[in-house]
Amino acid sequence: MAAAPVFAVVGHPNKGKSSVVATLSQNDGIAIALEPGTTKKRQDYPLSIDGQVLYTLVDTPGFQRPRRVLEWLEAHSASVSDRADTVRAFVTQFADNPQFVDECELLAPLTEGAGVIYVVDGSIPYSPQHEAEMTILRWTGRPSLALINSIGPDDHSDVWERALGQFFQVVRRFDAVRAPFEHHLGLLKTFGQLEPEWEQPLNEATRHLSEQRQQRKRETAILIANTLENMMSYRAKRTLTKTQAAAISDQALGDELRNQWYRNQRQKEEQLRIAIEQLYQHNRIQRQEPELVWHSEHDLFSERSRTAWGVNRRYLATAGFGAGAMGGIGIDAATLGYSLGAGALIGGIVGAAGSYFYGDRLSLPVLSTGILNNGLKTASFGPVQDSQFGYVVFGRAVNHWWHISQRNHAGRELLDLGPADDHWLELLDRQSRRVIHQVFERCRKNRSVDEKTRQNFRSAVAAAMDAFDQWRLNQI
Amino acid sequence: MADSRIRRLLAFDRQVRRDQAQSPIFVHRRDRRFALDCQARNETPSVEHWLEHLERVGQVSGSGGTWSKPGAPDETLTRWQRLLSVFAFSGLILGILTMTGLLYYEGGQRINLTALLAFAGLQCLLAVFTIVQSLVNWQPWHRVLRRFRLGDRQSPLKPLTPAMMARVAHTGGLCFGLAGVATLLVLVVIQDLAFGWSTTLSTGADGYHRLLTMLAWPWQQLWPAAIPDLALVESTRFFRAEPDLESTEPGRWGQWWPFVLMVWLFYVVMPRLAGLIVAQIQLHIRARRALAAHPGMVALEYRMETPTVDTGNVNHDGADRPDENTAAQCQPLPDSQVLICWAGAGDPELPDSLSAGHLLTEQAGGQCSLDDDQQTIERCAELLKKQPEPSVTLVARAWEPPIAELSDFIEQARHHWPEKTRIALLPLPNDHAQPTNPQTTRPRQLSQWLRFAERAGDERIFVSQPDLRSPQSRAYDRQPEGL
Repeated sequence: MAAAPVFAVVGHPNKGKSSVVATLSQNDGIAIALEPGTTKKRQDYPLSIDGQVLYTLVDTPGFQRPRRVLEWLEAHSASVSDRADTVRAFVTQFADNPQFVDECELLAPLTEGAGVIYVVDGSIPYSPQHEAEMTILRWTGRPSLALINSIGPDDHSDVWERALGQFFQVVRRFDAVRAPFEHHLGLLKTFGQLEPEWEQPLNEATRHLSEQRQQRKRETAILIANTLENMMSYRAKRTLTKTQAAAISDQALGDELRNQWYRNQRQKEEQLRIAIEQLYQHNRIQRQEPELVWHSEHDLFSERSRTAWGVNRRYLATAGFGAGAMGGIGIDAATLGYSLGAGALIGGIVGAAGSYFYGDRLSLPVLSTGILNNGLKTASFGPVQDSQFGYVVFGRAVNHWWHISQRNHAGRELLDLGPADDHWLELLDRQSRRVIHQVFERCRKNRSVDEKTRQNFRSAVAAAMDAFDQWRLNQI
Repeated sequence: MADSRIRRLLAFDRQVRRDQAQSPIFVHRRDRRFALDCQARNETPSVEHWLEHLERVGQVSGSGGTWSKPGAPDETLTRWQRLLSVFAFSGLILGILTMTGLLYYEGGQRINLTALLAFAGLQCLLAVFTIVQSLVNWQPWHRVLRRFRLGDRQSPLKPLTPAMMARVAHTGGLCFGLAGVATLLVLVVIQDLAFGWSTTLSTGADGYHRLLTMLAWPWQQLWPAAIPDLALVESTRFFRAEPDLESTEPGRWGQWWPFVLMVWLFYVVMPRLAGLIVAQIQLHIRARRALAAHPGMVALEYRMETPTVDTGNVNHDGADRPDENTAAQCQPLPDSQVLICWAGAGDPELPDSLSAGHLLTEQAGGQCSLDDDQQTIERCAELLKKQPEPSVTLVARAWEPPIAELSDFIEQARHHWPEKTRIALLPLPNDHAQPTNPQTTRPRQLSQWLRFAERAGDERIFVSQPDLRSPQSRAYDRQPEGL
């Protein structure tokens, strides 16, 4: 079997080489900084399927002394045909020389057969000053592609594109921080077109990456559905002995349980966020901002969150009607259809009315204190008595997922989870709305959710994620 | 057999719950690796193998903690086994007591066969009712079970509960029947039991005999002696109002015991045994179906079938970031005699405030050759040697990071130029030609130049950021924002 293709990402310092590698290898642990010499030595990032490497990206240091290298190469080359050998000889000659350590690190993979991915910054004006390093790369004789990565706000890509076309087989624009996932796959396929034998492994890799992304979405839907079910049905409970019950007032007990309930709900939401981030291999978002300060304005229980992510009365009434009707169908089934659908109708009306009249405020769960029994007294707080709570958590969770799924691993900025201004759930189909509302209602009433409903709920959550994606697309 | 399937179902469920706390990436990798290992050994990956594999690789000798083996007994199953034992023991006790009660004979009255037959019929009906109940999944006792934490809605055994309960009931019934048989045999040996038949109905011995023959049909080939003949039926009828029964030979009253034994065996013991077998088969089938329908099974199969994708995110050098802080500050631009444009800086033209007033303006770096650089250094050296306060302004593109070539150039220049020559680095912003721009370099771009000057470790090399719009730029100092 042919060796897996290797692509050395090379270029001038600080042009986004590491950003390109970080995004394509989904690695947010690669050091990215506006300081020449951040990458000190070559680093391999292989993509493997079941342990079999399909391709390897090599992050390299930037050129530090390109004119000196070119001068040496020109001085030791007799003809065009020996240029690749001369580059190899340079690496051999200066492998231990600290003066050319960066050049040796970046040229070594090329002498070993890697393809050239030359990265430039399209946000700064083109200048022929980099032609020395482009010439060196051309001397290697390796298949080459130039990437125009835009770091700043300006755009000089057109000029770069024309100039780079003279040195490289293929020139592509690629914003390492903002490019959508489809562009990542497109770029990888372009890598495969540099050499005929590279096409198959790169196509296979993109297929697996695409499937992996679909699977991540499915797993996220399960994570969100499970968390919603847990949060909606959570009860903070405490059992007190007779002495303990006498020592604490109902007010103090209520406050204690309420705080426990709040703390637990926040923890569950945070756990969900971490789980989704890990699923998408974003392992450092929290480390950068462990206190989650950018969420402080949109805290789970703030009025602003409710306004942004809650649903209106009309929505609740419609979903409530559907959920109630689904329950009422049971009555129709029990009468073998003799009720002529009256069960579904009555169930729907009851569900709609209940949701309409009680669903417009984020009411808190109530404290329930049991009577003294066998010397023990139990008190509980929850589950939440308003399905709006579920919609708030749901909206925030889907919003977070969307930002994570769209975030490239080269991104180092804070994750800004801004609220919505109009409601995304309007794009969701009626059946999914009903299922979601039905589960919220069951959890709220402390009823169990059977496995079939749970599966439907997960599917509805996945459909809601699609709807959110669509809604975001319409907003752009 | 059924129990092993139930245990497998429970072990699988436990493992699935445990996996929920794991990272999906890890779980996928683990299960895919298992599937690939099976493939390499030409084995079909199955749940049994999977659980065994996890148990084998998960065994940690001498480890403490709360880790439980996948094959460890489940608490719910233990509770069911306890319930089974209670029913079995109760059946034994009740069987002995019931048979003793039924065969109670104090010598005054006969043991009424009709009552015995009715009781056996009731037992038979109960057994059939239990079988039907489990077949149609009717669970009238589910509230009681929930109280004993046996009917948990979340338990994977939920679809098996009717069959589990039927098995418990049939086991109790079987023990009841067998204890009855044993008690009957013991009493037959140690007592002289006098069976008779009696009824208020105006039926004759013929009719009663036909009924008994019909009841005895199942064992007519097996044990013909256990079928009562008409003479026995006629001679053993008794009436409570007729205390004098001496006309019948005393031995005749005891000849009923084989019939009673077979009635008990076939109408009490056998239905329970059949019910138990049906329940076992049901459990076997339902446990298999429950495992196949378990939500974790679909996920497991998916993980085994789908390749793991490792995007190469193992290597991290994020912790090895360079220090981006610097204590270096910008200094005023000196009144320099030489201006050097490094790597095309100032192209196409320098700001007026810079281009004027220098004795020598040179190009270096970028497209210039190394020889050109050397000549530039020498020309500058000649001029600087004649100056009382030699100084050079080196204009560079602010957005291009200072690289080793520039260090080399400055180091080489220092060897040729007078020792006291001051070198001012002037990073020029890329929009300096526009009249509206503030003519200052962005703080992030400027930082790298300040760090470069700091690394040089020579106080005669410094960074300047004059206001290039001012004609007095060389006497003007400006601190960049954010530094």
